[in-house]
Amino acid sequence: MNPVIPAPVPVPLPAPAWLLQFLLVFTFILHVLPMNFLLGGTVILTLSGFLGCKRSRHRELAVRAARALPPVVAFTITLGVAPLLFLQLVYGQLFYTSSVLMAWFWLAVVFLVLIGYYGVYWFNMQQDELGPRARWVMLGTALVFVLVALIFSRNMSFMLRPEEFYASFLKHKVGLIVGPVGAADIARLLHFIVGSLAVAGLGLAILSRTWSREAPDLAVWARRYGVKWFMGATAVQIFVGLWFLTSLPVGIRHLFLGGDALATAILVAAIALALVAMMTALRNLALGGACLVGTLVLMAVIRHLVRVAYLRPYFDPRALPVEGQWVVFTLFALLLVAGLATVGWMLWKFFLPGSARAASGQAG
Amino acid sequence: MNYPVWEPFMLGGGMVIGIIAILHIFVSHFAVGGGLFLPMTERKAYRESNPALLEYVKSHSKFFVLVVLVFGAVSGVGIWWSIGLVNPEATATLIHVFVWGWAIEWVFFIVEIAAAFIYYYGWDRLDARTHLAVGWIYFGAAWLSLFIINGILTFMLTPGRWLENQSFASAFFNPGMLPSCIVRTAVSVALAGVYALVTATTIREMDLRTEVTRYAAKWLLAGALVIPLAGIWYISILPPMARETSMGAAPPVTIFAALSIFFSLLVVAFTFFGPYQHPRYFNLTFALLLAVLALSTTAVTEWVREAVRKPYIIYNYMYANTLRLGEIKRVEQQGVLKSALWVREHEVDPQALVRTGEDVFRVECASCHTVNGYNSIRFAVKGWSEAMIDYQLLHLNELKGFMPPFVGTEEERKALAAWLASLNPPSGMMLTEPPAPGHHAESNREGATRP
Repeated sequence: MNPVIPAPVPVPLPAPAWLLQFLLVFTFILHVLPMNFLLGGTVILTLSGFLGCKRSRHRELAVRAARALPPVVAFTITLGVAPLLFLQLVYGQLFYTSSVLMAWFWLAVVFLVLIGYYGVYWFNMQQDELGPRARWVMLGTALVFVLVALIFSRNMSFMLRPEEFYASFLKHKVGLIVGPVGAADIARLLHFIVGSLAVAGLGLAILSRTWSREAPDLAVWARRYGVKWFMGATAVQIFVGLWFLTSLPVGIRHLFLGGDALATAILVAAIALALVAMMTALRNLALGGACLVGTLVLMAVIRHLVRVAYLRPYFDPRALPVEGQWVVFTLFALLLVAGLATVGWMLWKFFLPGSARAASGQAG
Repeated sequence: MNYPVWEPFMLGGGMVIGIIAILHIFVSHFAVGGGLFLPMTERKAYRESNPALLEYVKSHSKFFVLVVLVFGAVSGVGIWWSIGLVNPEATATLIHVFVWGWAIEWVFFIVEIAAAFIYYYGWDRLDARTHLAVGWIYFGAAWLSLFIINGILTFMLTPGRWLENQSFASAFFNPGMLPSCIVRTAVSVALAGVYALVTATTIREMDLRTEVTRYAAKWLLAGALVIPLAGIWYISILPPMARETSMGAAPPVTIFAALSIFFSLLVVAFTFFGPYQHPRYFNLTFALLLAVLALSTTAVTEWVREAVRKPYIIYNYMYANTLRLGEIKRVEQQGVLKSALWVREHEVDPQALVRTGEDVFRVECASCHTVNGYNSIRFAVKGWSEAMIDYQLLHLNELKGFMPPFVGTEEERKALAAWLASLNPPSGMMLTEPPAPGHHAESNREGATRP
């Protein structure tokens, strides 16, 4: 059966497809950094919280690290807006269809994120009142975010399978359709979750450096603890990633195994960078962190190539009519630079040593 | 037509969007007005050397972060989620027209969020001048994000010259943009007062509490003063049909419009005679009642704004059921079932007329009507014979100006009528009968193509 795919909107794209695809991947990278830290971080802190019954360092880590989470949730959400915007622009007819078919689950994301967000604040603000119950709050929060990851992963996979849309539409009620789940889908979800544990582990190690003055012992321990999480998760990732690769359809897998020189080179480079990160993280955290970010960047590109390969038989956005809105685009680019500069200025003022004012006196 | 239709049981898609949107609007306007309130009040505290007032601003900023950054941000995403699920075709169109507008708004969001956190965490880390500057940066970014989304929202009701030239500038700087922007800014200032009245009641020290209560009431009253003036301007630029709908042509819309004015007057009166004149007697219960009243005002006003856009979702361009005006001829000719992708059968099955009719309903009517819940179609056709229903469908947009025309072949219309009639099994008495069939055969074609 020919796949049923809605026609693209009869309004031209406001920029060439390549630029929109670039922005899609670029802003996805911005989103994926805090998102991984959040997802992996809540899982790690939950485990630390439970281990902390007997070991106080684990508990202290959970309490301190959780303070960083509210801004991380905020930036995960905000930075996630742009990639989803460009995704809807370029691949809207696929994305909306899979979203509508699984509407109840997709809408649930909003409520789950709200619960998870307040969970993070609850954990932070009611630490003393909650006592040992706080770790249950963190467990709930982690579960909520894992569920969000599951729904996202499902939709992002489902939208690549338009040949399944109509058949599942005929069989089930619109809103409750989750599409076919195969090995590739499970491997994909696992790949992302394990990846988030690695990122969060290294993120915790980096975060712990900011405590080195107030809690030097904890900082030293937390750094090793975070790096261990990173190394362990990355070691597991070797197997999960391999499984993910082998579970992809033959034609797509082949691209990354020599079929396409560029795709293969990017995959090899990504794996090599991850291995370098593993080898250097314990001795040189900055280098390890940089290599991990490099891996993430390349993995985001690979993710895009996989998407393009899946959709090749059905849809090529480069064929869509374009009427560039270059004046507004330039305004966007300029404002982005100005906006980031403003944020940079505020952060500089905030973290500038000696910027702290005396608690009293500022009003006088 | 292009997308599968999700029917969230009793609520209907419109209601799902409505519930999320009204809560979001109530908080997001506070995000803007509160963003002005914080640095203004902080500056006031410095100028008057009033550390107690500064303590209040600090505690208010915590409340602000919890309400705005969490609920405001997530519910904003929620609107986007819900419109994509309920009206994907319209959402996709808006994104094609406004993607750079939204991208610019996204930049303002980033600045806004960063500034809010630095303001909140920076009370003891930043010097007074810098802290205040961060507060102003927050407000600037928040107001600019309102400025952007306001242009996109008003475009849907007053797309102006975009219909002719399809340019971004015409779409964004549409006739409704400026007056609506002033209304929304004034609403933001008023809502800053509403929320500040709530937090003011938590102040223990009586003199400060009295001072802040009165001060917050002034914010509310100042905003409320501007709303009617800009509101009249906004109403004056509305398409005539939209204006008439809210002024008598459609009773429910008119009642809601009147309620909007009534609730607004109540809020102003309660504020003036309560916290403004007698701040000492103002308490949390009163403050929460005022907040509920303000939320009700928001709810009915936004409902009216949505209702007057009917039968369109983008005025004079796309109907509420996401059928573009430019597509009507084609759909008329080939039939709705052949044009729609997500139906079980693409032909009318004379053996299963009712089943086919349900498919026609889903693609053409379900964006506004549910079967049994909100705007129930079963209720709407109760007591009508099949012939009466068919007559109504034939002249839908003429009989009910706020509805799009029925578009489709005669068989499809008959199938829809059969399904609609089957919803209420005959009870022996039919209230109305249409004129003799065939009488309006010609006007079917005309009515269908007329906007």
